[in-house]
Amino acid sequence: MANNKPDNPDKFPALGRALLWVEKPGGVEKIVYTLYAVCAGLFVADFLYHKHSYLAIEDFPGFYALYGFFMCAALVICAKGMRLFLKRDETYYAPRDVESEPYPEDQLDKVDYDA
Amino acid sequence: MLDWLPTAFLFFLGAAILPLLPRGPARAVLLLAIPVIAAAQVYTLPLDDTLVRVTFFGFDLDLMRVDKLSRIFALIFCIAAFLGNLYAWHVKDPVQQVAALLYSGAAIGAVFAGDLITLFFYWEGTAISSVFLIWARRTEGAYFTGMRYLIIQIGSGVILLAGVVLMYVDTGSIAFQHMELGTPATWLIFIAFGMKCAFPLLHNWLQDAYPAATVTGTVILSAFTTKLAVYSLARGFAGTEILIYIGAIMTLFPIFYAVIENDLRRVLAYSLNNQLGFMVVGVGIGTELALNGTASHAFAHILYKALLFMSVGAVLFRTGTAKGSELGGLYKTMPLTMIFCVIGAASISAFPLFSGFVTKSLILSAAAHEHYYIIWGILLFASAGVFHHSGIKIPYFAFFAHDSGKRPKEAPWHMLWAMGLASFLCIAVGVYPAPLYALLPFEVDYQPYTTTHVITQLQLLFFSALAFTVLMRTGIYPPELKSVNLDFDWTYRRFLPRLIEAIGKPIGAAMQAWSDMMRDGLHAMIIRLYHSYGPQGRISQFWPTGTMVLWIGILLGVTLVVNYVS
Amino acid sequence: MSTETVHHTALTLADHLPALQVLVPFIAAPLIVLFGRRGIAWPIALASSATAFAVSILLLSRVIDGSVISYHMGGWEPPLGIEYRVDAANAFVLLLVSAMSTLVLLFARESVEAEVSARHHALFYSAYLLCLSGLLGVAITGDAFNVFVFLEISSLATYVLIAQGSERDKRALTASYDYLIMGTIGATFFVIGIGFLYMATGTLNMADIADRISEQGSNRTIRAGFAFIVVGVGLKVAMYPLHSWLPNAYTYAPSMVTAFLAATATKVAIYVLLRFVFTVFDPGFLFEFNTLGYIILPLAIVAMFAASFIAVFQSDFKRMLAYSSVGQIGYILLGIAMLSQTGLTAAIVHLFNHGITKAALFMAVGAFVLTAKGSFYNDIQGLGRRMPLTSAAVVVGGLSLIGVPGTAGFVSKWLLVEAALENGWWPVALLVVASSLLAVIYVWRVLEVLYMQPTPDGSTVQEAPMSMLAPMWIAALACVYFGLDTDVTLTAAATAAEGLLAGSTGLQ
Repeated sequence: MANNKPDNPDKFPALGRALLWVEKPGGVEKIVYTLYAVCAGLFVADFLYHKHSYLAIEDFPGFYALYGFFMCAALVICAKGMRLFLKRDETYYAPRDVESEPYPEDQLDKVDYDA
Repeated sequence: MLDWLPTAFLFFLGAAILPLLPRGPARAVLLLAIPVIAAAQVYTLPLDDTLVRVTFFGFDLDLMRVDKLSRIFALIFCIAAFLGNLYAWHVKDPVQQVAALLYSGAAIGAVFAGDLITLFFYWEGTAISSVFLIWARRTEGAYFTGMRYLIIQIGSGVILLAGVVLMYVDTGSIAFQHMELGTPATWLIFIAFGMKCAFPLLHNWLQDAYPAATVTGTVILSAFTTKLAVYSLARGFAGTEILIYIGAIMTLFPIFYAVIENDLRRVLAYSLNNQLGFMVVGVGIGTELALNGTASHAFAHILYKALLFMSVGAVLFRTGTAKGSELGGLYKTMPLTMIFCVIGAASISAFPLFSGFVTKSLILSAAAHEHYYIIWGILLFASAGVFHHSGIKIPYFAFFAHDSGKRPKEAPWHMLWAMGLASFLCIAVGVYPAPLYALLPFEVDYQPYTTTHVITQLQLLFFSALAFTVLMRTGIYPPELKSVNLDFDWTYRRFLPRLIEAIGKPIGAAMQAWSDMMRDGLHAMIIRLYHSYGPQGRISQFWPTGTMVLWIGILLGVTLVVNYVS
Repeated sequence: MSTETVHHTALTLADHLPALQVLVPFIAAPLIVLFGRRGIAWPIALASSATAFAVSILLLSRVIDGSVISYHMGGWEPPLGIEYRVDAANAFVLLLVSAMSTLVLLFARESVEAEVSARHHALFYSAYLLCLSGLLGVAITGDAFNVFVFLEISSLATYVLIAQGSERDKRALTASYDYLIMGTIGATFFVIGIGFLYMATGTLNMADIADRISEQGSNRTIRAGFAFIVVGVGLKVAMYPLHSWLPNAYTYAPSMVTAFLAATATKVAIYVLLRFVFTVFDPGFLFEFNTLGYIILPLAIVAMFAASFIAVFQSDFKRMLAYSSVGQIGYILLGIAMLSQTGLTAAIVHLFNHGITKAALFMAVGAFVLTAKGSFYNDIQGLGRRMPLTSAAVVVGGLSLIGVPGTAGFVSKWLLVEAALENGWWPVALLVVASSLLAVIYVWRVLEVLYMQPTPDGSTVQEAPMSMLAPMWIAALACVYFGLDTDVTLTAAATAAEGLLAGSTGLQ
């Protein structure tokens, strides 16, 4: 239900209002820099405690961090590559598929936030 | 309490009573009461292999094998049924209500089955009852999807039955016990379990059907069928090495699909498949630690997966779509749903203090303990990947990302309660795992909260999030697009029909020509016969008398020859 | 009635049960004609059929332990006189026939009112009772020629009954005529076969023939007799490919006639086949072994598939069921061809279970014909909501036809698979399962028509009357009951199979 009415943030639920800062200019940056800081901190933490490990490779400083980062990057890039071969139109299997049909309205309860 | 009554019958009784009650709250209350009574019964049952034994057709059927393994699955099934029914409080459709009761009852019955025949009955029961949750959407696409689902589920049952019959012929026993792969019987049973467990290449029914069910139906569906299969594997094939590799592949390939999938409920279906992989690896390793891991992970998984399906379902309920490309910015008006979704996401990603953390690590530790290092590496990768697509992608594209302009109202109260309860359980298990550990099949000697474990896990997760952020900000991350991604189901939804059509056309034409020729020839013969023997030849063209007389003659001749020759 | 004809010894009424079994309906038939009032025809028919049912229960209870009752008609000693001989096998068939007849008669009143013209009612019920007594006679008699006589009595009555469908559809006349030609040829073959046996042994009493055959061994005359009897009875059984009279006859006959014939007539014919193959001839003979193995077995398997395939493509519910019957007869013949205790038990149980299943389904067809004026899929589409009870009976019957666990059909198919595995016939067991999938398809089509398609606009169809629903549901519930409690059917069938497999010694 794309809303044509002008937004009225005052009527959003309190919790929703409290989170509106993420959309303000610089809001996203705040989150991103916090993430960078946490990541840096966690990387450094690896040098500060005695690691109990099963495998030699786990002792490599920042192993989990690097593994997580690079594997995820690889995952996304591979998946993006798969799209080249696998992506089809939404109506590919229609009509024997739910992908292209709207969800039956009578089973829904679409209500606007200020209704 | 109620020792003599199989737990499943409680649900069936409920399903029988439900249509007699007036529509509205009375039915909804019944739907909630049944799982509560069942859970209380299960919790208080004595551990006994032959609690309810009936004789059927000369076989002793054990309807209630209560031991620690079956009890924990039955308990979580009761909890899932309760949460699902609470979430579906608003549903007035008796078909869905009855189907939900029958389905959860059949799943619990199967878990308690002490013999393969009982297991088969309930196995088919789950198949038949659950399809109504898909058909209840009442659209053409849902009908066909349900059909595909039903065929595969029933197929699994038929294969199971074949295996059971062979097993009985081989061994003379129908007990449902540990089996060793090797005979055709055990292989058939193994494949039947594998179909329901969504083994790679047998998995498509899951991603096909779950997003097609109703808002509430998907929540119910997500809990039972696959976990029943995991239980059956744990009961029958614990320590079967091939399962380790099957499970590893299962954790791996769905995450690729999940990244590029647009329908968020299908993303969750892929990640469900990936989580099953962890459990299957646990069953394959088969040590006490690994089986504890499988059981506990199934327990935690049902909760957070239901929670995730509930939150996406609530979005669907309020906006009419669950597609990433259509959503975004909903945090403003559905903040509670968003928070519950994040809790589910944190649980599935195994953040410390959330349920996945204390259960998944049992399986990873078991893999490392038994020196399956490559498997361990794959599982680690899959853990990072699951955070990536379920942990970040689902909440991000539904509630944040670009503003879709949709401003739906917060989910209705009963959905919020259901999500809230599930969230509470997810956190409770994560913070204080001792009660869950106490329910596990074997003694638990495991401490999840060590400095090493917490820090390494946080590193893994935060750097995955970092990868997501970097790719998102550099524009490399694939956008959500309205699309269908081909999976293995393409073979039977597209390739085989096309192939059959291609082969069938010329063969059909040839057959037609051949049968025309035969018919014409036969006709000519009959007409000649009748022309010489009687005037009623005209009748025989439309009525079979002539043909039959011919057949009698032929048959008599053949019989005489056989008799004389022998 | 028969007590008056037997004076020479002081027998109690109970000793005359075998004669009463046949005579009650046989004498009631002309009584109906004598009274000539159509109001009274149905009660008389029902009462005599119910009496026959009661008699058959008493008879079965006496022989279920494996004993045999031998009754000498008119006090004449066999082999000169005609002997009625009751053992577990035919007592079971008698029970099926008389039970189904009673059930169908309960159902029949409204259905006959609607489908048969009023001036024929008395004669219709009279023909029905003749058919019933013929079938009972075939089952009970121990005399080979007497089998032929009763077979003809029932067949002639059947032709008349089928022709009564002409009120609704003139093609019933052609169907009846067609069956008449075929049935007569079959009966002729049968009597030729008996002639050969008489030539070879000089007796017509089955036990006697069996004795002499086992004494003198096989010769060409006996072999020829066997071939003629198998083919002749095979036609009555509707053994594929001698089945083509059946679909037309079942489709165009009045509904209650179809229900009755489907549940009993072919079953009695199968009993005759069993009796001759296993008791009169010795299954130890190589020629018999070969006939079963090389002719009946492949034909049975072809029937399972071919008839089911045809059923899948029908657009008339009644005709679909008729073809399904041909396929189901394939299962029974398969059980017989296995030549083993389990196989034979499976055949006999399936004979019974399929009887009640088809009775329920054809009665539902009768209800549809009464209320919706037709049984084509487009006549009955969307009736699941308008006729919930009838449709639910179709569901139960359909499940039993498929062989879903918990229904009677499952019990017999399970036994059949077990028998095939016992013989080490893996492929056959798989084929049984595979052909059941075809049943899934044709049953599913009906259920889809009933439940998933919309009711045509302006339809005023109402649920069938209670008098039809009650017997239909008795049969449907019997499908479930005999699927859960298998004691009665399995014990009776196993005893019967044992008796039959004992060969001619079983007659002593």
